[in-house]
Amino acid sequence: MLEILLKSPVKGRLLLYVHTHGESYAREIARDLGLYLRGVQYHLLKMEQDGILYSHLKGKVRLFGINPRYPFKKELTAFLDRSLTFVPAEERQRLYTPRLRPRRTGKPL
Amino acid sequence: MRITETSSLPALASFICDACLNHGLDIVLSGGACVSIYTKNRYASFDLDFVLRSPVPRKRIRIAMAELGFREDGRHFRHPRTPYIVEFLLPPLSVGQEPVREVHEIRTSGRVLRLLSPTDCVKDRLAAYYHWNDRPSLEQAVLVCRAKTVDMREVGRWSVNEGMREKFDLFRTQIPKEEDRA
Repeated sequence: MLEILLKSPVKGRLLLYVHTHGESYAREIARDLGLYLRGVQYHLLKMEQDGILYSHLKGKVRLFGINPRYPFKKELTAFLDRSLTFVPAEERQRLYTPRLRPRRTGKPL
Repeated sequence: MRITETSSLPALASFICDACLNHGLDIVLSGGACVSIYTKNRYASFDLDFVLRSPVPRKRIRIAMAELGFREDGRHFRHPRTPYIVEFLLPPLSVGQEPVREVHEIRTSGRVLRLLSPTDCVKDRLAAYYHWNDRPSLEQAVLVCRAKTVDMREVGRWSVNEGMREKFDLFRTQIPKEEDRA
């Protein structure tokens, strides 16, 4: 669904990943989605330049998220939520349903 | 105009804006530079962020800036004789989720500088405070309110639309009532 609109199979998956994870970094995204790191970095930086994503450094890691100041943020996130419903359940569970609540240090899994 | 180490931000901004307009580039100054201009440098910015009002090929910007002596350095443009860094941001011109409807103009020495109005400048700074919790941006918004006439009712309406009523109320407490000139 997103691929047709964005003309890129990578961009759509990146956006879904960042949207569902809140914030993430290139290496994590590339690893989880099975994409080339270079390609992920390229698209993240391009979308940051376009104002769709923001980034900031945390330690040595550059984290990316959907820019809350992007004028079409509401529409974009609604669109991403809608397109998420078309992702197969197994893939959605595996890639786009991260645990975001904290886990105390030392707590067994 | 000859760009020197002592060229002021407003002079430089209007020089660039005017030259770009002559090249058919419709740009508007936004960000911290507007705060600097409205507060007469009580907040000092070295970034000149111009927002393009319609998309143009990068090459056209490069040509216009090269004529002024600026060289492209990644996303930015630098000049050997000034510490100010110039960046051109992609359209749309917006504050938060809303488009900017009216652009302010300042004319100096026959040149025109297009920039955010004081009210939109306050919204722009508040957007950074609302969404990033950036307190320096809140202070800049307060400085602009103290220096210029700001339509506080409009800022309030916009803040509610952004879903930030509580933070707006907090901001409001920092602006003395008598300084609400709108």
